[in-house]
Amino acid sequence: MRVDSTLFTISWVGEQATGARALQQERELNRFLADVERRALRIAEIAVRDRDEALDLVQDAMIRLARNYGRRDSDEWAPLFYRILQNGIRDWHRRQAVRRRVLVWFGRGQGDDDDYDAVAAAPDPNGRAPDEVLQNREAMRDLEAALRGLPARQREAFMLRTFECLDVAGTATAMGCSEGSVKTHYSRAVHALRGQLEAHGPDLVRPME
Amino acid sequence: MNDMTDKDEKLGKRARSLFDASVDGLDAATLSSLNRSRRRAIAELGRPGAAWMRWVPAAGMATAMLVAVMLIVPGPGQQEQALPTSVTDMEILLGDEEFEMLEELEFYTWMDLAEDNDDVT
Repeated sequence: MRVDSTLFTISWVGEQATGARALQQERELNRFLADVERRALRIAEIAVRDRDEALDLVQDAMIRLARNYGRRDSDEWAPLFYRILQNGIRDWHRRQAVRRRVLVWFGRGQGDDDDYDAVAAAPDPNGRAPDEVLQNREAMRDLEAALRGLPARQREAFMLRTFECLDVAGTATAMGCSEGSVKTHYSRAVHALRGQLEAHGPDLVRPME
Repeated sequence: MNDMTDKDEKLGKRARSLFDASVDGLDAATLSSLNRSRRRAIAELGRPGAAWMRWVPAAGMATAMLVAVMLIVPGPGQQEQALPTSVTDMEILLGDEEFEMLEELEFYTWMDLAEDNDDVT
């Protein structure tokens, strides 16, 4: 009788501990996603040039992370999340290319999406004077255009290192390549961006006060 | 391999500042969408894919094969044209996330037929 009671107590304590751990993990994942979601959205938006598509990609990455890696150590989440997101972005570009080819074949080629207005799509920075807001928007528009002109791998390396502040190892995991490749892609991206943005004037390369 | 110059570092800082400003300025509707997405993801924590999802690739393949036949066999009055599909294209067409695209294909096919019959006003 006493043995049964002891076993029940151990089992009950075990269940409580498991439940508490699950709840803790849920909270940690919620905190992590809340921390990265807005930056992830902007990174995806720069890559696909469409807010709604970017929202879909981020949601998909969140769900896949939670479903497949949610029980992993939280230190692993950032590179895994960005790896899923970057894969989603690459798949999106491939699907767009096929979609265009198929629709052209049907005689219904989509018009070029050059009417995308990066300035209109860019959100208003808070708490700044209108002149500064405008200046920042224009600078961000130039930066986005320059980023889109980079090879995809260089763009990924730059955005993950600069915008998301992932370290070289984390960026390598997110990009699915070696740390040496990350350094090469990042270095080339920075040099290419400097070359392009200096040609646009000093606004982008001068540091912000 | 640290050949970053001061100018490179300044560019990185400035780019980060601009990016952060654009993140801080996201509108309420977008933040709300992100919030909903996050809640949906949290609900999926550790949950394996639904059982019916196992049938999605098969259903996708069946639909894609139907489309492939539509592409290969010219319709009435259509001239034979070069196929736009390659192996890579077919991989994508066979993917399980292309139902929307395939639905659009049906729509465009309908549009072609409707225009031929002058049914579109």
